[in-house]
Order: sequence, then structure tokens, then C-alpha cells
Amino acid sequence: MALTITCPICGKRNGYEFRYGGEEKGPRPDEAGLTPEAWCDYVHMNNCVAGVQEEWWFHKDGCGSWFKIHRDTTTNLEIEQTEATE
Amino acid sequence: MFLKNKPMWGKRTKLKSSYDVVIIGGGLHSLATAYYLAKDYGITDIAILEKNYIGFGGAGRNTAIVRANQRTQYNVPLYKEALDLWPVLTKELDYNLMFNNCGNLNLMHSEAAMKAARMNICTAQFHGVESHLIDAKEAKELVPALNISEDITFPIHGAMFHPPGGIVRHDAVVWGLAKGAAKKGVEIHQQTEALDITTKNGKVESVKTNMGTIQTKQVMISAGGYSAALINSMLGIRLPISVLTIQAMVTQPLKPILDHVVSSGAYHCYANQTLKGEIATGAHMDPWPNYTTLNTAYYIKHQAEALSEFLPALRGLKFMRIWGGLADMTPDMAPIMDGNDQVEGFFMDCGWGYFGFKSCSAVGKYMAEFIAKNECPDILKPFNLKRYQDHKLMGETAALVNYSPDN
Repeated sequence: MALTITCPICGKRNGYEFRYGGEEKGPRPDEAGLTPEAWCDYVHMNNCVAGVQEEWWFHKDGCGSWFKIHRDTTTNLEIEQTEATE
Repeated sequence: MFLKNKPMWGKRTKLKSSYDVVIIGGGLHSLATAYYLAKDYGITDIAILEKNYIGFGGAGRNTAIVRANQRTQYNVPLYKEALDLWPVLTKELDYNLMFNNCGNLNLMHSEAAMKAARMNICTAQFHGVESHLIDAKEAKELVPALNISEDITFPIHGAMFHPPGGIVRHDAVVWGLAKGAAKKGVEIHQQTEALDITTKNGKVESVKTNMGTIQTKQVMISAGGYSAALINSMLGIRLPISVLTIQAMVTQPLKPILDHVVSSGAYHCYANQTLKGEIATGAHMDPWPNYTTLNTAYYIKHQAEALSEFLPALRGLKFMRIWGGLADMTPDMAPIMDGNDQVEGFFMDCGWGYFGFKSCSAVGKYMAEFIAKNECPDILKPFNLKRYQDHKLMGETAALVNYSPDN
């Protein structure tokens, strides 16, 4: 099944033009008082959701922008943002 | 329909309300652990819970390659033992696992790759594993079908030759271990889905399933690619894992042409000829996490291109069957085996990526020791989950170019 991704600048494109950038994990933690555990959680740990997740992508063979989409990991289909947050 | 029939491993049993040990996942690591718990420690009151049927996941989807030529001092002894156990298990289980130690040939396509291979070989030789560096001409002598000319995308500089590796019939391992474990009293419950693990005061108390609740003090999750999601949803433990589909395919059968497992990192392609004559070949993982286990035209084309370059005699062959499985990749390409840490009585054996099959025999033995003695065997200690926050990643990848889910 082909994966397509909608780039905010270039529109819907072939998924192989993009590089996956990881699960959305919120803002980078503050360095003040940061523990190895919290840093490790931010850097390495994933939820590995079998279902819809929010994630980062990089349009490496295109405009070079970084952006977030919602995608169902069991079907590889991109989900409309409004649909996903409902 | 097969629900009504008697299972091949013995009697169908009813799920009881308590067990000494519950194992979630009916794959090879679970079956092997249960087998060794029963055989070595006399612990037989075990339930293996499998949502589908045994061998449905990675156990029946891998490309059946076994080898012990990994990179680090922690991994090699474990895989060596796993390799040494195939003939032993064949006898013990009285089941033909069809171990064909035809040897592995890892092709190297640059001087940098040759240098990395030298280090792997030194590690292997230090641990008593036979492994040699050979040049392109010697590789051609071993596998006459190889194209060692310089006019291909990645010309072959040489290879890492690992004679003791080879192929084991993966379904036979599932059937043999299931029979062996059941004979000793282990219960295998198919179509039984573990829904939750309940804990009390930091200790495992019970496992909820679609067939009722089971009281138990010890539970292990070794559910292949599904482990990370299960461990997170049941116990809130997040793991450094990305779950990716990995694709494989077989061609139409040929007369004998390949008598070694041939693999190439640069082409992201590995191939061997099965006893039926088909060329079984696997690709790199999908570059983004997904649970689809679907094949893509992209990789079928990629495999065809790669194979027709370094094994040009295969040009024009048709792929007969294609399939996919899941690889749960960690950042350091080494597994996570841990227990009694986050929750007392909870054990995990996951993050195997595409190494789960070749390790199952030895890991079953040591996870059984871990569960039986409640103490981590020395050989498994480096694989704990804490290594990521201590920044002691294992270095199984020679040169990690990008920190990406597919390494």
C-alpha cells in the first residue's frame, strides 16, 4: 500500500519523498533540573501506538519543511487533523 | 474450523484461574522459555496466551537465517549458544528442525565495510565463533553465481564468511517447542488475548484475558513486534522501540544454485535457496513505523533490482509469494531483556528487531533461569532497559548514520 503524506507547502506527495521524524513528544524538556530519566524519556522512548498517532515528518526530497501529521499505523493512512482530534 | 480439532501439540485444555507463570505471546521466545522452565526448573504450571495461533507472528514470517557473527561482546556469546543449541534441540525435542549449516556470506562493498567486518570477525574469533574475511575472488569461488565485476552499483570488495550459520526450518521450531513444552505440562491457549496486567503494591497480581482473569505472580511479555504497545498500555512502561514492517518474498523454484546464505548491507538484501529450490529473500525494513505487515511495490522492485545486480543469474525470475512481518527496532539494535525491576514479577523480552528467530533457543533458556530464580543471569544483565538512560547503548550498529527508526 502506498503511503502519501500531505506537506503543508507541497501538498499530497509520495511518502518516499519524506523522512519520518518520530512521535510527537511535546516541547524539548528544560535543561534546568533535567534528570537522565526525563531526558531518556524524551530522546528514546516511544508509545508505539497501533492506531492513530501524531508524528513528525521532514520533506527531504522536497521543500525541506518539518511538520506534524496524524497517521494510522495499522493502515498507513494519513488522518485529517480535525478527524483525529475529535 | 481448526478450533474444533485437537491441537497438534497435545490436548486442548481449559484456561484455569491461576498459574505459576503466565507468558503473553505464543511465539518462539515464549515457547522456548516455557520449555526450559519445565525442563530445567520443573516449573510446569504455565499458560502461554496467544491472541491468534502459535507461529502467526514473527516465528513464521522470518527468513529462517541463523548466525552468530554480530558485533558486540555481549551479543556474540548469546547467539553462539543459540546456534549450538539447534542440533541439541533437534535431539531433545525428537523433532527435525532441518538445521542446514550452509554458512553465511556477508558481502562487503567498500573498504570501510571491510574494516567493519574485520572488527566483527575479531570479536567472533575471540568468542570461539568461526568467521573469516575473504576477498571477492574467494567469494566467487564459494558462490559462483555472484557478480564480482566492477560495473555494478555496489561492487563487491570481499565478504565476511561465517561457516557455522545457516538455515533452520522456523515452523518446525514452533511445532517442536510447542510439542516439547506441552508434553511437560505447559498449556498453550490460542485465541486467548491478554487484555491487562493488574498489580498491587508494585507486584504482579493477575492477568485479564478475553477468557477470564488469571491469578499469577509472574508474567512475561514476549509478543514480538506487539510487545512495546502491550507493555506501554498494560503497565505504562514506555520503551525505546520503533515497530516497522519488514518484507520478504520467494521466487519460483530453481535447480541448486546457492548453497550459502548471501547478504548485502549496501544492497539491503539477503537471499538463500530453500530446500524446495526457491530463492527466499528479504529486504530492509520500511523507513517509518507501521503495523501493516503489507508488501509494497517499492520493495518488490528494490529486491528485484538488487538480486539481479549481485546475482545476475536470477534475472527474469518471478516472485511466487510475498509477505511481511514486524521488527521492533531499538536504537542500538540490541534487545531488551529485563525483569523484577519496574514491577516485581514482570519480565520482558522484546526489542529483537529482526534477530528474534536466531536467538530464541538460547534466550528461552536464560529467560527461564531469570524467571525461575528471580535473579538475572549474568549473560542477560547488559540487556536491561536502564542502559538507555545510563547512555550505555550497545553499539551493535557499526556506523549509525542517522538516528532513525530503521537504524
